[in-house]
Amino acid sequence: MVELSLDDMSRDPYPMWARLRAEAPVAYSPSLERYLVTRYADIVELEKTPEVFSSREEDSLLTRVVGHNMLREDNAPHHRIRSAAEPPTRPRQVRDIWSTAFATNCGRVLEDLAPRGRGDLIADFISPLVELNLAAVLGIGGVPRGTMTQWSAHMMAGNGNYADDQEIWARAKAATAEIDEYVRLAVDRVQGSADDSIISAMVHADDPLPLDEVQNNVKVIIGGGINEPLHVFGTGAWQALTDPALRARLVDDPALWRKVFEESARWISPIGLYPRQVLSEYEVAGIRLPAGSRVALVIGSGNRDSAVIQNADVFDIDREPVAHLAFGGGPHFCMGAWVARHQIGALAWPAVFDRLRGLRLVEGFEPEISGWVFRGLKSLPVEWEAVG
Amino acid sequence: MVKINFTLPDGSTRAIDAAPGGSLMKAATSHLVPGIVAECGGNASCATCHVYLETEDVALACPDGSVEDEMLDFTASPRRANSRLSCQVQVGDQLEGLTVEVPGAQV
Repeated sequence: MVELSLDDMSRDPYPMWARLRAEAPVAYSPSLERYLVTRYADIVELEKTPEVFSSREEDSLLTRVVGHNMLREDNAPHHRIRSAAEPPTRPRQVRDIWSTAFATNCGRVLEDLAPRGRGDLIADFISPLVELNLAAVLGIGGVPRGTMTQWSAHMMAGNGNYADDQEIWARAKAATAEIDEYVRLAVDRVQGSADDSIISAMVHADDPLPLDEVQNNVKVIIGGGINEPLHVFGTGAWQALTDPALRARLVDDPALWRKVFEESARWISPIGLYPRQVLSEYEVAGIRLPAGSRVALVIGSGNRDSAVIQNADVFDIDREPVAHLAFGGGPHFCMGAWVARHQIGALAWPAVFDRLRGLRLVEGFEPEISGWVFRGLKSLPVEWEAVG
Repeated sequence: MVKINFTLPDGSTRAIDAAPGGSLMKAATSHLVPGIVAECGGNASCATCHVYLETEDVALACPDGSVEDEMLDFTASPRRANSRLSCQVQVGDQLEGLTVEVPGAQV
């Protein structure tokens, strides 16, 4: 049994995860009503055993926010939705179709930003860029600037609302109602003419998804498709801005940003944990998990497990390549992984460090990093030489 | 049972007796052959169960235009003509005695 202080966890969950890995790697939390699985090897084992660890969690917070969706399905019902939605996110489509659109979007955002000389790299650079990119990949148009980021934040807050805060539910509900309307318009549009987008792929799949399924799964994609890339971007940009030797190497060889991406996702995993429900009794790390019980796979902890990853608390792009857990594993392996790798690692970081000359953190910057279900930097205030 | 020989990046070899019917990835990971990560658990969405099949048999080559074919462009170790995602290779008699090279990097 373990009692968690959610406030402490939000400030810094890593000391608690380290303690659990050492003392109680499968620990029951009464407040979360679930077993926390915190060691790398156990998490991988459970991820690879979907026949026991079901994604169809009863009373799922995510399902409460977005309705029935692919993240909370197993087997054939999951496969049906995933295979309808996935094709536009595969790496060849990213390279051949989206890379050009993303580069154009990045140029637009930087053109607006460059003359200003100061701003917040999260709110003023990566948030508008990821919004434009995700709108293109999804195939929804006309969403005002800032709106998708708000939607994502409100839905993710609901998804992590283990404290049952009523205001969080209300904001999440308002966000999803707005999304439903945008998706309805998009579905109408692609019904007449297919395009490269995810919504079009879902509508024109071999087994087409009806409107409500398109809506619910677009909500899931917006939930994970803004918040998480923003957080990974923030971590890597912060590290590069505070480590001159690292920055010099990245300027010299922008391909190294790919390593920054994987290491940022590992070091501060934007998704700290996700739930599974136990279908039949299972023993892990000497603990018997009864049928019907719930677990949280704490990937934010597994990614800091020094049994597998040396000096795991240190950010180090030169470490032995490691199969981190930040994208999850098994059938629910992050659908947006290839989009995120490209738009953050291959595009956003190299572009912003190249274009904004003399980029530096504002004096006295103290990083505000918070969250334990979802974790990342909240802002990154910077200055640069303003040029037209 | 189907006998399959793995060559590991350190030069050592490992022979397994695999049950027919499942994927080569499952056979390898259930026999604890190191170096096959298989993050996505066999759904051809991660490109981390890459192997090289030591064979000239065209029936064992990656099908052109498949999702696997696409993913093989994005493996951590270089793609070769005999590259496969082991999750997409079915274990059967056609693999009897085959040597499978595990690449140096999956991530």
